Amino acid sequence: MAYQVSIFLENKIGHLERVTAVLKAARINIRTMNLNHTASGWGILNLVVSNPMLAHHLLNENGLSSALREIVAIEMMDHPGGLDDLLQEIVKAGVNFTNAYGRSAYASENAYFVIDTEDVHDARQKLLQAGLKILSDETIYGIS
Amino acid sequence: MYWENELETLERKNLEKLQVTRLKKTIQLAVNSPYYRNLYGQMCLSADSIRSIADLRKLPLTTKQNLRDNFPYGFLGLPQKELIRLHSSSGTTGNPTVIFHNRHDIDSWANLMARSLFCAGVRDTDVFQNICGYGLFTGGLGFQYGIERLGCLSIPAGAGNSPRQIKLMQDYGTTVAHAIPSYLNRLFEVFQEEGLDPRKDTKLNTFVIGAEPHTEEQRQRIEEMFGVKAYNSFGLSEMNGPGVAFECTYQNGLHIWEDAFLIEIINPDTLEPVAEGEVGELVMTTLDREAMPLIRYRTRDLTRILPGKCACGRTHMRLDRITGRSDDMFIVKGCNIFPMQVEGVLMKIPEVGADYLITLDTINGSDEMIIEVEVKKDWFNGDITRLDKLARLISGQIRDEVLVKPIVKLVEPGSLPKSEGKAVRVKELRKALNL
Repeated sequence: MAYQVSIFLENKIGHLERVTAVLKAARINIRTMNLNHTASGWGILNLVVSNPMLAHHLLNENGLSSALREIVAIEMMDHPGGLDDLLQEIVKAGVNFTNAYGRSAYASENAYFVIDTEDVHDARQKLLQAGLKILSDETIYGIS
Repeated sequence: MYWENELETLERKNLEKLQVTRLKKTIQLAVNSPYYRNLYGQMCLSADSIRSIADLRKLPLTTKQNLRDNFPYGFLGLPQKELIRLHSSSGTTGNPTVIFHNRHDIDSWANLMARSLFCAGVRDTDVFQNICGYGLFTGGLGFQYGIERLGCLSIPAGAGNSPRQIKLMQDYGTTVAHAIPSYLNRLFEVFQEEGLDPRKDTKLNTFVIGAEPHTEEQRQRIEEMFGVKAYNSFGLSEMNGPGVAFECTYQNGLHIWEDAFLIEIINPDTLEPVAEGEVGELVMTTLDREAMPLIRYRTRDLTRILPGKCACGRTHMRLDRITGRSDDMFIVKGCNIFPMQVEGVLMKIPEVGADYLITLDTINGSDEMIIEVEVKKDWFNGDITRLDKLARLISGQIRDEVLVKPIVKLVEPGSLPKSEGKAVRVKELRKALNL
């Protein structure tokens, strides 16, 4: 089971840096990120990192509001149409997601696509049945 | 040139005589109420203890808290059968402030209101649009009865819906309108959006503005924008509502109707009278109310009595503009709000922390109340829709409580001033208002 670290952030100068400083000090690597913002002056930062449990713990200890959310990372081809091909399969599998973001690896044909869904177990089942490749935690976190 | 020639120009000596007579009668009525009977009984006070206005100071002050503690009937001097209306503050947390009226009280209030409007130059030939919420709020019905008593054609337009307000003004040739000053900026914008100039495209000549403190500069701006004369109106629901004090056409202070209200200005800390002409808290005693007389009521409004006589010939004293409050109440869109009301709502919502910050600001010409609230750490799970729902829930519940819809901003835990000690809970950024 893979996790993203979600952090509640006010849209103010220096707030994102508070997060990255904590991770840097603990030598935690950020693999991919996604930042969304609402009109009301706050947003949520989602991070896939090398050690989500430790990151979550340290961020909370440093006064930030973080939460661990389970995600599914699906293998995707790093070439034109890669996302479209993948999405067609996800649609066929009947999986809806509320948030998504990706990562492409340097000098590789592979990339991955991270989705945040309401029922992650159900989503994983459906995606596996559709023959999609769900990446291992080690691959996602980059610690293989 | 006066609504009531004799009363409005009564010599000070005679006015004071009338006040003493009415004060004694008021105390006789007040001791019919459980609250004053009990209080004066313990202190062996009665109407006979009062021989002059100076004797008033023997009597204890009455506070809003006293009203709340004796909710709903503790201050009532008449059987319920005699009552014909009540007006009440908003809110669902704690006891509201409620004032009851009998037929005499409503009649006397309507007369004071008519006198006030006449004093500002309004006449029975005017078409009067009351842009003000009707219902429990006193500005709706209070004005309505006065407008009718004066004999104007009244348009009970209610609050909001600016395009409709403009249409009413044009359809019926409104000459006088009553509104809260902060709304008039918004109304003017809508005039502009519709490509209209109120100076040319309406028959407006007078505005009555009140329920919100405002500066002389703001008045002048309103007068320029609309091409009208704008008169300041002062009132508070505990003293009926509007019609307590009003500007005459000389626009130099608000004549307070001393045949109906006895006023004192005290130092809010020592509770002693301030020196003549100094700013202090306005304390008021009703002199012509039967159902619910109030004696030495602390209004919490800070003002001063202006020296000298008014050129209009009225002998009733003039109050300066309200310059602030001796408590933490603030006013948004004409609604009186206490930080405790906001706090009460927030404390009932388990997802948020106890700390909050209210910022009052003018956004796009409209007064807004922005409430920053901390989200509890252990409730946060990274779901953005859940946070959005929470913000909407808070906004809705605060609106139900204080009648003004706030802009709710969720902030990181620990980013607001702590609730211990005297944390600043309200930040005033509105430029036009001095609170």
